[in-house]
Amino acid sequence: MNSAHVDLTAKKSQSPVIEISKLKKSFKNNHVLKGIDLTLKKGESIVVLGKSGSGKSVLIKCIVGLLRPDSGILKVFEKPVLELNHQELDKIREKIGFVFQSNALYDSMTVRKNLEFPLRRHLEKESKEQINQRVKNALTSVGLLNTIDMMPSELSGGMRKRISLARCLILNPEVMLYDEPTTGLDPITGEEISRLMVQMQKKYNSSSIIITHDMKCAKLTANQMLVLIDGLIYAKGTYAELEKSKDKKIKAFFE
Amino acid sequence: MSFRSFFQDFFIETGEITKFSLRVFKEVFVPPYEFKEFLIQCYNVGCKSIPLVGVTAFIMGLVVTLQSRPTLVQFGAGSWLPAMASVSIVREIGPVVTALMCAGKVGSNIGAELGSMKVTEQIDAMEVSGTNPFKFVAVTRILATTFMVPVLVVFADFFSLIGSFIAANIKGQISIYLFFNQVFEKLVFLDVIPSISKAFFFGFVIGLISCYQGYNSKKGTEGVGKSANAAVVISSLLIFVIDLLAVQITNAFI
Repeated sequence: MNSAHVDLTAKKSQSPVIEISKLKKSFKNNHVLKGIDLTLKKGESIVVLGKSGSGKSVLIKCIVGLLRPDSGILKVFEKPVLELNHQELDKIREKIGFVFQSNALYDSMTVRKNLEFPLRRHLEKESKEQINQRVKNALTSVGLLNTIDMMPSELSGGMRKRISLARCLILNPEVMLYDEPTTGLDPITGEEISRLMVQMQKKYNSSSIIITHDMKCAKLTANQMLVLIDGLIYAKGTYAELEKSKDKKIKAFFE
Repeated sequence: MSFRSFFQDFFIETGEITKFSLRVFKEVFVPPYEFKEFLIQCYNVGCKSIPLVGVTAFIMGLVVTLQSRPTLVQFGAGSWLPAMASVSIVREIGPVVTALMCAGKVGSNIGAELGSMKVTEQIDAMEVSGTNPFKFVAVTRILATTFMVPVLVVFADFFSLIGSFIAANIKGQISIYLFFNQVFEKLVFLDVIPSISKAFFFGFVIGLISCYQGYNSKKGTEGVGKSANAAVVISSLLIFVIDLLAVQITNAFI
């Protein structure tokens, strides 16, 4: 177990930032989530493992309000997401960073504009200099200040992922949601991104839910791991605990 | 596809487009207003389309005049050429050619752009960052096409009349003063107002259909292609339907 992992565990406190109970979501006859229970505490980092199409991304999209669950309890910062109106949901979203699998950088905008975009609603009263400073700080955090005036199409996959991370960090979120952050990256860049995630979590003292099937990423980032199979939490535990499991379905992830 | 499922899909799609357009009307009046983005889109739709619309309209004016001249001369009505050209251009050729060119250029652009934004999760990213993507992406573009297509029609009419004047001078001889004097003598408000009015509807339909197709694009590059294609095909078809309705309404007043 690496040192970053130990540090994060030490910082962990007990207040839950996300509470999910019996969450269900289906698309027509396809029952994707069949009753998920999950609690994310302050400073904690949970990795959700699962095969493609097992509903991992659906789970975090429900948390941030991009998808509406069919039933269940979903509380973020003790507020019931399903009962919030658009303005209230936006207030919650201010405290959540979402790193998309495809990075979702706005390809018609420069890196600077991409980072300024989340600020346009949340920090309307800030001066141009203050916004500029925030952009520079976020880019410095991910080591890509030199790309500030570049277009996303000019960046490599790893750089785009870092910029995507910087765009989330610019609002100093309390919770980070990562949707397969290392997918499509080479192993070395994937590891760099995983380490950066741990580093950012320490720096911003945030909590995170990481959706992945990259075990290297899971090992580096997880305090707690959940295995999602057939729309239900099949197993939970630390990386070391799950690694020792004799269950065939769990072992399959570690092979 | 069976006859029944074709009609079922048709009515479902029509219902969805109606819901989409109602949402546009609702969002237009609710703050915050995306005025800066609206201006950017006006520039993209309007200014960037002037060369294409101008060249097309010029050629159409030239061709229509060249084609009409022999028949008019045969009936001894050669002197009516500027008047006939002006009414054809202002009433029909200007608005329809402009709308069709915009459906091709702007419609496919919007359909593909929004489709691509949808499949690469950029629209979701906007939503998560507290911006209403429907307003920022769709409403601004629909407003831009609604207001810019009539402006482009005025440009198209102008370029088309220039084309017509040149055509009139290829086979015959007429001064620019006499030509435009005859053009404006025959044009009345009932030619110009319906022409500009229907251009607003053309613009709205181009924006609405293109944004709807892009916004509801299915996953994958194939989905983006289909959105761009459907944006052009459906909006072009609707332009003719609106034109048909417009001519019936206009004729009721003449």
